Amino acid sequence: MLKINELKASVEEAAILKGLNLTINPGEVHAIMGPNGSGKSTLASVLAGREEYEVEGGSVDFNGADLLDMDATERARAGLFLAFQYPVEIPGVSNINFMRAAVNGKREHEGLEPIKGKAFLDMVKKKAQLVELDGRLRNRSVNEGFSGGEKKRNEIFQMAMLEPELAILDETDSGLDIDALRIVSDGVNAMRSPERSFLVITHYQRLLEYIVPDFVHVLVDGRIVRSGGKELALELEEKGYDWIKEDIVA
Amino acid sequence: MDNAKPQLMDRPKAEAKHAASETSGAALVSALDELLGVQADVALDAVPVPHRRVERWKYTPVAAWWKDVLASEVQTVAAAGCEANPVPGLDAYRLVFVNGTFDAAASDLPVHTGVMCMPVSQRGDAPLQSADAFSPEESDWFAGLNGRYSQEGLYLRVAQGVELDRPILIHHHTCGAGVFNVLRHDIALGLNASVKIVQWSTAAAEADGAVNVLTRADVGEGARLHIDKVQDEEGTVRHIAFEDIRQGKASQVEVHTITVRGAWVRNDLAFRINGQGAHAELNGAFLPGEGEFVDNHTTVDHRVPHCTSSENYKGILYGKSTGVFNGKVFVRPDAQQTNAYQQNANILASDMASMNAKPELEIYADDVKCSHGCTVGQFDSDALFYARSRGVGLEAAKAMLVHAFIGDVLKGLAVTEVRLEVEHRLAEKHGWDVWSDHLNDDA
Repeated sequence: MLKINELKASVEEAAILKGLNLTINPGEVHAIMGPNGSGKSTLASVLAGREEYEVEGGSVDFNGADLLDMDATERARAGLFLAFQYPVEIPGVSNINFMRAAVNGKREHEGLEPIKGKAFLDMVKKKAQLVELDGRLRNRSVNEGFSGGEKKRNEIFQMAMLEPELAILDETDSGLDIDALRIVSDGVNAMRSPERSFLVITHYQRLLEYIVPDFVHVLVDGRIVRSGGKELALELEEKGYDWIKEDIVA
Repeated sequence: MDNAKPQLMDRPKAEAKHAASETSGAALVSALDELLGVQADVALDAVPVPHRRVERWKYTPVAAWWKDVLASEVQTVAAAGCEANPVPGLDAYRLVFVNGTFDAAASDLPVHTGVMCMPVSQRGDAPLQSADAFSPEESDWFAGLNGRYSQEGLYLRVAQGVELDRPILIHHHTCGAGVFNVLRHDIALGLNASVKIVQWSTAAAEADGAVNVLTRADVGEGARLHIDKVQDEEGTVRHIAFEDIRQGKASQVEVHTITVRGAWVRNDLAFRINGQGAHAELNGAFLPGEGEFVDNHTTVDHRVPHCTSSENYKGILYGKSTGVFNGKVFVRPDAQQTNAYQQNANILASDMASMNAKPELEIYADDVKCSHGCTVGQFDSDALFYARSRGVGLEAAKAMLVHAFIGDVLKGLAVTEVRLEVEHRLAEKHGWDVWSDHLNDDA
């Protein structure tokens, strides 16, 4: 589904990703862990098409298409979703109208008519239950005045609405208490399927107790330096990132 | 503070004198005298033609066109191929003026107890309100032109306690070449009277010339006046509009100015708050496109205690367009307990657009609450990326942000049909296929 080959990227002329390789097959859940500043969030932003990031080299194939050749909108319509670490507030745009525009954007791409009001509202109701999203939040401005937990639940709600093929969760656990973490994780787990893949970016092992990955990768200084199964996360938790860094130097 | 003796509103005049060496526009005046006849003894040589060394005209160029010799052509909307009611579905009384002439066939006047509503030319002996020392005619050359030549417009008197059941739509249409479309609307509301007015200006694609509209309103004690003012003019007409508003005790006046289209537009609103407990509200949205110029000048003069004013202007500037906002708030020494708020926020949607924004607060009372904010920025790139990462197209995402940005101004419009038509026309002008409120309408 996703094949990243020797990806190099920079932001404001500082090289962040320095030759990253990663392959994700349908149905797989991959976790990327790493210390602060290792390039985790840069990877998420580059994959989602954020323009401030400059791709210096390498390639990314998404279901046979050149992902780097698409703009952010096209990537989303092609089935890629990024759950933001810091979801953006958009005052004056209601959550529900925002999602309607998003769903219709995708439908347009698929050659479908815009969704009917009733069908859309039924869909909203169903998907909102998945993350226990309060009905009032649907009509409020996008993320405006939402608590940290509400914002992250809203991200997963949006993911459920758009039914992506590949979902990237960028530090979705940051700022979540244990109840919110459970709700968000349950939402993600309910969406796991043989066709859908996840790339879970996290600093802590805690999230991976709830969203159990098939593979764990350790990102240090812009490269994946170690890959393994879910037990690698536990090892990292126990020994810390310095262990890996020392290991590389040695 | 004794040394801060207020000069208040005589300042423009002082500037005018300073610039007296400039031409007084005598050639144009004599041409217009011949063409239109002098309607009122307003001398135009006391105030010179504006130019950019005068503060109030610093960002507003007129040199290129003010002396174009003008012609006047009598027309009707039907002959001009224009719809008499530009707001679909709006159930309103209607006064249609084409090139400054009343179009009786297209109009629909109210027959209502306590309401005199007719074109100025049909009012008989009833007097019009006169300009006073603070009226724009005294300090502005274009307002002077209006005073000297206007002979038509709305004449409206609403008696004590009367609330008009439908809005009054005043439709100004300009067509033909070199047209001088000059109108003066004269409104007086009695005690607790209430009326909503829609001023809608259109112009044909081939139209050029000048539109000069002055609205003078005397709003009595407890009376309410709402004006939704929409400018959607094609062609190359230059539109200048003055509001000269005097508010009595506990009155409420709202003017919402939406500039959809216009090659060159200047709105000059002046509110004089003369009675305690009054509230003035001035909101505006302007979205000039390539080559367009929109200027909003406002003056709120708090003269008595315990009054409030609220001002909210939003601009989004596209292509190579220019905007001006100048918001003046005076709080005179007697106007204690004034609460005045002013906000002007602008988005430059293009690298070529420019905005000149200037809040001016002059406060001579010490127990007041006055706040203002002024911003010029660009689209929020984080919000745009967020929307695009959900599959919303770039243009649709911008339209969504635009709607959110000016939404509070549009929601303030007194007449819903006006808001819907404004949204429709803005979407048409800017090629937006997503206008996010419509998503909600059928949801």
